[in-house]
Parts: sequence; C-alpha cells; structure tokens
Amino acid sequence: MNRVIAFCFLSLAAVLGYLHIDSRPVWAPFASNYPINHANQFDDASEISGGTKQSKMLKSATSVKPAQPSLRTDWLPDTGAPSVHAASLIALKDGAVRAFWFAGSREGAPDVVINTSVFDTQASRWSAPTVVVDRVSAEKGLSRYIAKLGNPVPARMADGRMQLFFVTVSIGGWAGSSISSMISDDEGLTWSRPARLISSPLINLSTLVKSPAISFVDGRLGLPAYHEWIGRFGEFLRIDAGQVIDKRRMSSGRDAIQPVVFTNDPQEAEAFFRQTRPSSKPKQIPASETKNAGQSWTATKDLEIPNPNSALAALTLVNGTRLMVLNNIESARYRLVMVMQEPSSPQWRVVQVLEDDESLLNNQHREFSYPYLISANGEDAHLTYTWNRTKIKHVYFPAAWFKHVASSSKEKEAQ
Amino acid sequence: MMTPYLQLIALLEMSLTCAVVLIILFQKLFSKEIPFAIRLLAVLLLVNLFFWPLGMSLELPLSAYVRGVTGELSIVTMLLLWGSVLPSPKKTPLGFKVPVGLIAIVFYPLALGLGMLDPYAWGYGSIGLLTATIFFAIVCGLTGWTKGVWILSFAIIAWAAHWHESTNLWDYFLDPFLAIWALLAISNSIYQKRRERAQSGYLFRAG
Repeated sequence: MNRVIAFCFLSLAAVLGYLHIDSRPVWAPFASNYPINHANQFDDASEISGGTKQSKMLKSATSVKPAQPSLRTDWLPDTGAPSVHAASLIALKDGAVRAFWFAGSREGAPDVVINTSVFDTQASRWSAPTVVVDRVSAEKGLSRYIAKLGNPVPARMADGRMQLFFVTVSIGGWAGSSISSMISDDEGLTWSRPARLISSPLINLSTLVKSPAISFVDGRLGLPAYHEWIGRFGEFLRIDAGQVIDKRRMSSGRDAIQPVVFTNDPQEAEAFFRQTRPSSKPKQIPASETKNAGQSWTATKDLEIPNPNSALAALTLVNGTRLMVLNNIESARYRLVMVMQEPSSPQWRVVQVLEDDESLLNNQHREFSYPYLISANGEDAHLTYTWNRTKIKHVYFPAAWFKHVASSSKEKEAQ
Repeated sequence: MMTPYLQLIALLEMSLTCAVVLIILFQKLFSKEIPFAIRLLAVLLLVNLFFWPLGMSLELPLSAYVRGVTGELSIVTMLLLWGSVLPSPKKTPLGFKVPVGLIAIVFYPLALGLGMLDPYAWGYGSIGLLTATIFFAIVCGLTGWTKGVWILSFAIIAWAAHWHESTNLWDYFLDPFLAIWALLAISNSIYQKRRERAQSGYLFRAG
C-alpha cells in the first residue's frame, strides 16, 4: 500500500516537474545594443559579421596622431582606502554615469566594501562616494557567512531598474567565489536585499563576473561569467531578475576567463577572453563565437593581440565601431591601450595609448588593469581602470574624438 | 513561489541538518544508541542553538556560518540525514548508492569544466533529466526501497516549487556530500566483501 501511495506521489511530482519545465521561457535572440538606431545597427552588424570571417590582426605600432579634441581624464573619488580595484560603470537615465568599485585595506581583505559615485557629465564632477554593500550587510542579506567582496558589475533590466551583480567569497580565495545580485528602483541610491545566483554544482563555488551583461529581446539578461578553480573557462548565464535560469559554456579547460561579448546580430556574437594559459602556449586573446544567441559556443582562432593574463573591456558604438581597452603586452600590465575595429575593417588597430610605464618603481612596474567601458549615448565612451591598485582613473572619449580618429585613419589609408 | 521565505527556510533546514549530524556523530563516537525521545529532545535543542543569533561577536546564527561553507544541501541528502534519527531507520540500499556514486564520478568533472559538454546545464529544464530522475525513482520503488520514491518525489516537487535558491534540478538531488557518502559506502562495501571472502578462506581454497 505504501508503495502505491509513493508511486501516486511520484506521479504528482512528475506532473509538477513537467509543468515547471513547460513554463520556462524559450531562449530569445539578442537585443540590439542601441534600439533607437536599430536599422543602422543591423546594416553595420552585417558588415561586421562578414569581416570577422577574415583574420583579425592588430596593426603593430599603428598609432593615430595625437587626437583633437582631447580626452578628459580624472579620478574616481578617494575613499581613503589604500587598495581599490575592479571599477565598473552604468549610464543613468538622466545622462549621468554611476561607477562602482571595491575598496579596502587590500584586495580580498574583510574590510573591502563596494563603493559608488555618480559622474555629473555637465559639471564633469564625481559625487561623494557612498558604500553600496559591505561584508556584514552582504552576509546578513544573504543569510550566510561571507569572508570578502569582489567585482561589482551593474546592468540595466528591461523594466528600467538597475541590477548590481557582485562577487562574494565565503571560503578560500577568488576560486571560492559566487555571484550575488541586488536591484535598485532609484538608479542606485537604495538597494534590495541581495540574492544569491546558483551557477555551480559544487557548493556553488567559483563563478565570478567582470564584464557587462547583454540583453535578450525578451528583456532577460545574458551575463558573461567565468570559473577559475579546477577549470578556468567562460560561462554565459541567462538571468531572470535574481536567478539563473540557464547557462552555457563559452570555453573549456584552463585557458580563458573574463569573457567580453560583442553581438553581431540577434543570433551571432563573438566573445574574447583574458588568457590564463601556461607559459608554453600563445599569450594571445582566446575567442569563441555563437550563432544561436548564446545557446552554444565554439572556440575560434585567437585574436592576435598579445594578452598578459589581464582583463579586457569591450564596447560597440552606435555606428558599429568596436572598441577594446587592454594590455597589449605578453607580461605585466604596465601598458594599456584602446584598440578599435571599424565596421568596414576586420583589423584592430591601436588608437590611443592610455598608459605606458616601462620604468620600474621599487623593482616593479606600475599596474594598469581591469578596464571597463560604457557609452552614455552610443557615440561617446567612458572608461575606468585601476591605476596601480591605488586609484581608479576615468577617461572620457567624446563623440568628436572618435570622429576625428575615424577621419584620420581614412586620410592615412588614402595616402 | 517561496522567495520571501527562502532564507528562513534555508536556515531552518541547515539548523536541523547540523543538529542531526551532531547526534549521528555522537552516536558513532561513543558507539551508543541514544533513545528516540532523547534524540528528539536533543534535535529540538540543537536546532534552536543553530537557528537563533547568539549575539556576542557572532554576526549571524551558527547555521549561517555552516551554510556559508557548505551551501545548500540537496533535498535527497537532507531527507536521508533527517530520516536517520527516526526510530529504527532502515539502511539505504547499495543499489541507490552505486548509481549516485557513478553519476557523481562522471558528472562533477564535466560540470567543472572538462570539455564543452556541461551536464549541469540540463538541470535548468531538460525533460530528459527529469525523465531520468523519475525512472530512477520508479526503479527504487520496484526494487523495494519505497523511501527512495518519496525522497526523489520530494526533490522534484521542491525544484518545481523553487524551494531553494537554485533553479537547477541537479542541486535538489545531488550534492558533493551525498556523492562522497555514496563513494565511501561503495568502497567500504567492496572492502567488507573482500574481507569476508578472505575470512571464509576463499583465497586459500584448493583449486
């Protein structure tokens, strides 16, 4: 009798399980980066996808003349913390830009907090920094012990709310990380209770986030994430509010983390990674591509730009021009450049050397790392990066600067 | 469905699990069976100890510290553990442990990055994985382990109801602790069988 009742209960579970699977949303295509210029974007995108079939080479030592108008640089506000890192940005609805970064006595220390500040684009000034979340508030919100906080990455949800993904660690080093997220209804002034994203079967260990999310047409987010424990590989998480509803592997093995994604059209996208290869393998940027909106990814030929095991930042402008900021050297992080790929060209070329410090300070190079790029209007670009682990530098590239760079390069080609 | 209560439920479950584990450890250490009434009382006391914030320098309840390290346990692990403090618990059959151990041996390396195939992704909504779980439960029932049918049914219902933070079916019926327990049980069983054979003189029997 007990067995009959148990089988009846199993039938109920089977029905509920089937209904649950049936209610899951189907995988949607990628949304356009800039919905207003939808048509133009698609025209440009088709050119890009054609171009990407060819080999992409970085023109060595091809640097555009000092550009006019000039770039605007400043620093994110100092909180007094000796160590700062992993800044990220999001455009606000009023045209301002909000930055997030982590700061503390050292990376991975228990006193690390996630700070935020708003950049007033009219006055070119950062607001006083505030704390978004610290270790204690994170562990109270998540109802579990948290040892340290890590990378924050903001995203815009389809309903206009802001979502902040951030890394937390309960045990071990960064390999023991998990991702949590909070939602803000007021552009980052106040935040909901954090929620844990479950993305790994082994005590949810070792999923981190560094790069911006991309949107699907159904309003859900695709979050490029990565593992860095037993394996070092990229993963594409499909996020519905505070939970992972699907995920796909972007690479495998121990070679590639911190993916950045360029979408070509609603189905196609390319991902570039920070390489974490052994010294015998090429120190170049690993790449993957998808042709079904991220449902499956295939490793492709490396992008032949040197990479010293350091993060990249990526951005597509409204006209289809692609930008990346990276350390184009094979070791250390003392040189940081912006590279550009115009829609009509398969080539990436250096358009701005942001830092190049070959001098040794206390027998060590200065470090310029963890770049993060966004555009407030699709034509300009805001960049932040860690400046020697002590400060975060902000560089503003006006739309006129990109136009000047494009026209200079055309002139050069004509000559 | 359960979102507002997720954290509370998780802490309660973890408190109960910690209480049960401590009682099992006590019984194993002292090789002594505690009477059921005392076990129940001890569980109640320990659940309260782990669930409520103790103050002092602790920012969280004890169960939250354990949860920080272990994460959420699967429904199968929890029900097996909790069931072990009930009166006259039956041993979990090897026929359940062997498939769990074998699945874990294949599943974890693939899910942790060996190659591009990720079986963990099936847990988000694969009808194949759900069917396999139901089939496994039916086999448990047909081989006489009805408790297994109940446990796997609860795991499926908990997943459909979003009982835990995870939306992945794997997290409701497998976790590393269950896998280690199953693998240890298998190796222990092999060792016991070899010992029995050796003691019976099988190895020294004339051919």
